[in-house]
Amino acid sequence: MKAFGTHFKTELKLSLRGMDMVIFAICMPIVVMVILGIIYGSKPAFDGASYSFLEQSFGAVAAIAVCAGGVMGLPLVVSDYRNKKILKRFKVTPVSPTMILLVQVAIYTLYAVVSLLLVYITVRLFFGSSFGGSWLQFLGAYLLVMLSMFSIGMLVGGVSKDVKTAQLLCCVLYFPMLIFSGTTLPYEVMPKALQKVADFMPLTQGIKLLKVTSLGLSTDGVLLPIIVMAALAVLCIGVSIRFFRWE
Amino acid sequence: MVNTIEAKNLCKAYNGIKAIENVSIEVGPGQVFGLLGANGAGKTTTIECIMGTKKADRGEATVLGLDPYRSRKILFERVGVQFQESSYQEKILVCELCEETASLYKNAADYGELLRRFGLSEKVKCPVSELSGGQRQRLFIVLALIPNPEVVFLDELTTGLDARARREVWKCLSELKQKGMTILLTSHFMDEVEALCDRIMILKSGESVFCGTVSEAVAASGCEKFEDAYLKLADEEVGERV
Repeated sequence: MKAFGTHFKTELKLSLRGMDMVIFAICMPIVVMVILGIIYGSKPAFDGASYSFLEQSFGAVAAIAVCAGGVMGLPLVVSDYRNKKILKRFKVTPVSPTMILLVQVAIYTLYAVVSLLLVYITVRLFFGSSFGGSWLQFLGAYLLVMLSMFSIGMLVGGVSKDVKTAQLLCCVLYFPMLIFSGTTLPYEVMPKALQKVADFMPLTQGIKLLKVTSLGLSTDGVLLPIIVMAALAVLCIGVSIRFFRWE
Repeated sequence: MVNTIEAKNLCKAYNGIKAIENVSIEVGPGQVFGLLGANGAGKTTTIECIMGTKKADRGEATVLGLDPYRSRKILFERVGVQFQESSYQEKILVCELCEETASLYKNAADYGELLRRFGLSEKVKCPVSELSGGQRQRLFIVLALIPNPEVVFLDELTTGLDARARREVWKCLSELKQKGMTILLTSHFMDEVEALCDRIMILKSGESVFCGTVSEAVAASGCEKFEDAYLKLADEEVGERV
């Protein structure tokens, strides 16, 4: 526990020093939320809707930090630490290198939670939106989305040959998901054809879950997204454990 | 008396190409053992097979009577290791790296005291990347000493250092030796080996070509100086050396 605590503190400091997660996971979601707020104000999501467009977007914007941490931050730090032989150094200590991976997961979880709170405060305070769903269900969905996104990150970071490969894979995963899964560009304003393509992205499914739970909508259609997210997590975790390279 | 480090007939090949073959090493308590040989002769592979970071294809190794694979958690409370590559996080400060390392052990030494002893007190708040080569190597000795180890593994500690920095590191090692620590090191510098090592092994293409004391090596080669003896035993031309 002492090792975990000390590493968490130091690795968090290092991560903050790097600034990239502060920008992509903390600042960016707030900026996106503010822009959407300025554009849509208190307009309803559609004619006759009981909730506003902003309230509908909350779940999506809250997922930006999960996406940034899971498919950008986590895989890069894992491949970097392996490449620098930092993971290998742990093998000649009493502590397993798994610990440092868990520390990183904890750090990106913290980023995601802080971002969630800040995005919530932003919509609540500045745009007067309310949260109509169940927090319990929403947090459950959030946890599931986090689990599956982070498992993608572990897979990419754990099996890519070097940092360059990891960077390439991260860009291929991160930018399309950021733009087309509905985190920044709202899913509802996409043309039907684009929505169909977006549906194939795991995060799109995750965001559907976040929307349903945050708006308190009927949970009829949630089975598919839940299965997709859970299956993805199981698959990625399984493959990571099997093929993870420590050096 | 049981040997502190014992390796029997270690063999390791990478993709069918042999790296080491039948390497056997015995290091008694408090001894300093030097592993010599040209680049690629198998020094690092030997050390890694002994520490258990690489699995030997054949043969076995124990440190402090323990199997480094099965007893990793117990063993590495008592063993310090310095790696050939300097593996630390970008932007990490000296004190942060020491603190992280200390947190891994039950009975960690006071790293502030160690940094003082190795003349690094003023660099505590300095990023590791901004240290000079000699300071960085001294820091890596400090890291290897944080567990309060009974045994330390040092892989090419002074490679890439200038003469003054080498002397600094050299002094540190002499102090450790006086304190009775068991040390397994690899080195390319014969003056260093001559001054520090009780016994040496010379590796050539993954096989031991000599094992004994420095004076035995000199005697066996028929040369006058140890450096000449090493070159003769390692069977290579002077021009080939880096």
